[in-house]
Amino acid sequence: METAALLRPEVDRREAALVRDAQRGSARALEQLFRLHWPRAYRAALVVVNDSAAAEDIAQESFLAAVRALDRFDRRRPFGPWLHRIVVNRSIDWSRARTLRRELGGESFPEPAAPEHESGGRAEELATALADLGSEHRAVIVLRYLLDYTPGEIAALLDLPRGTVNSRLRRGLDRLEEALR
Amino acid sequence: MNVKQLFERVPSDREAEERAWMVVRAAYAERERVRVPVARRRRLLLAGAGVALAAAVAAASFSSPGRAVVNAVRRTIGISNAAPALFKLPAPGRLLVSGSGGTWVVAPDGSKRRLGDYTQAAWSPHGLYVIGATTDGLAAVEPSHGTVHWSLARPDVLDPRWGGSRTDTHVAYLSKGRLRIVAGDGTGDAGISARSRVAPAWRPGNVRQLAFVGGDGRVRLLGAWRSAHRYADPRLLVWSRDGSQLLLVTARELVLFSARSGHAQTLHLRGVSAAAFSAQGQLAVVQRHAILVLNGEQTRPVFTTRVALRGLVWSPNGRWLLTSLPAADQWVFVGRRSVLAVSHIARQFGGAVSLDGWVPGA
Repeated sequence: METAALLRPEVDRREAALVRDAQRGSARALEQLFRLHWPRAYRAALVVVNDSAAAEDIAQESFLAAVRALDRFDRRRPFGPWLHRIVVNRSIDWSRARTLRRELGGESFPEPAAPEHESGGRAEELATALADLGSEHRAVIVLRYLLDYTPGEIAALLDLPRGTVNSRLRRGLDRLEEALR
Repeated sequence: MNVKQLFERVPSDREAEERAWMVVRAAYAERERVRVPVARRRRLLLAGAGVALAAAVAAASFSSPGRAVVNAVRRTIGISNAAPALFKLPAPGRLLVSGSGGTWVVAPDGSKRRLGDYTQAAWSPHGLYVIGATTDGLAAVEPSHGTVHWSLARPDVLDPRWGGSRTDTHVAYLSKGRLRIVAGDGTGDAGISARSRVAPAWRPGNVRQLAFVGGDGRVRLLGAWRSAHRYADPRLLVWSRDGSQLLLVTARELVLFSARSGHAQTLHLRGVSAAAFSAQGQLAVVQRHAILVLNGEQTRPVFTTRVALRGLVWSPNGRWLLTSLPAADQWVFVGRRSVLAVSHIARQFGGAVSLDGWVPGA
């Protein structure tokens, strides 16, 4: 974690250069930014929403949002946290919407909506462990343990009090430890 | 294994990454294209329109319906020698219409069944059910006898559209101008915090993607992309039957989007009020007093008259186009070699009706 923190300024400088080049029309720079951030963006969304198709959509939409806002992006700010905030907030929104939009079929109705679960292996295992937590809690866990943000950074990213972040982390960790025993 | 190691083992998806990169790259290219000077952009749009629209109809085998009829521009209001009633449909399938006289299903033999007091209606994706709308709500109805499977009371309901596969369907609609989605069994109704300026349109096939035009004039395909451009005076969205292309009709142009990338090509064509893709991929539009079939950037009139046309649907076999002449109280079926007209529409359906869809089945 400390190593990651030490490396961050260098990463930020590299990202700033890529953002600048992408703003000037370099598709190659944009691709480097995309390749750099896609894996973690996708995995973060997958853990929060536990649905691979939705995770793909969310990560993709987040990058599209980045492209649309590229001209307005302030290069003095790091690109990663900005993208991750979009990913995590969209994942939370998607999870809330799914809760509202129940997808159940009726026996007497041949064209019903059907439950949708598309995930596999480790993501499912993780999601099972975190199932009792809300998507907001899962998002905090993802930001801390997958994307390596400090509690203070998470609080800033999600506009949450630091104490709330800490309590959500504690509860999430307890849940994971129980599941991993 | 600690928590961080566990997270690190969450799989990424290489194919998803490549799909996403194609979309993002296309959006980026569109952004760059939009940034070029306006005059040059117009030339690019015109040049590109031919390519895209050619692609839209490349598979078409529809041979000029009523080519001879083009020359027979009517000098009077309405079509002479029209049948006094709809004795039968000229092609197999069931026709759905609705309006002030309620919602009706017309069978191939011309028999008509009134489903209820719905002012708008749409078929379910496989023609098994009908979703009807009144200003106060929705109802899912059995088309053969009008039995209501479920209903939902909502204020100021408009433009219901039913999409999805056989096992996963949803109905999108507008309530007080805002988009809402309810599952195909009537459960889980929820708003999606968006306005739509036209009727929403579900992408055909097994994907669950809804297209609409947001309050800002941008076309959105939920879960995929949003157009960079804002479109003034949007009128309707229509999907190709294979779900590969989405057509936006505005007051001044036709815009064809790639479903996959969101890439848009524009054809400047004013005054289009209706559009429909045949099952074979042929695109036809109603432009004021004419039906045009598009072939690349070429538009070919297949039927013209002196009064405004309203609505357009293809027969399921792609051999007939149906439009209406409200001023003459007629329907007109335009075929390859003949035109069939039917009069007294309002009398037969209890008032003016719009053409909601023509689907296979007896």
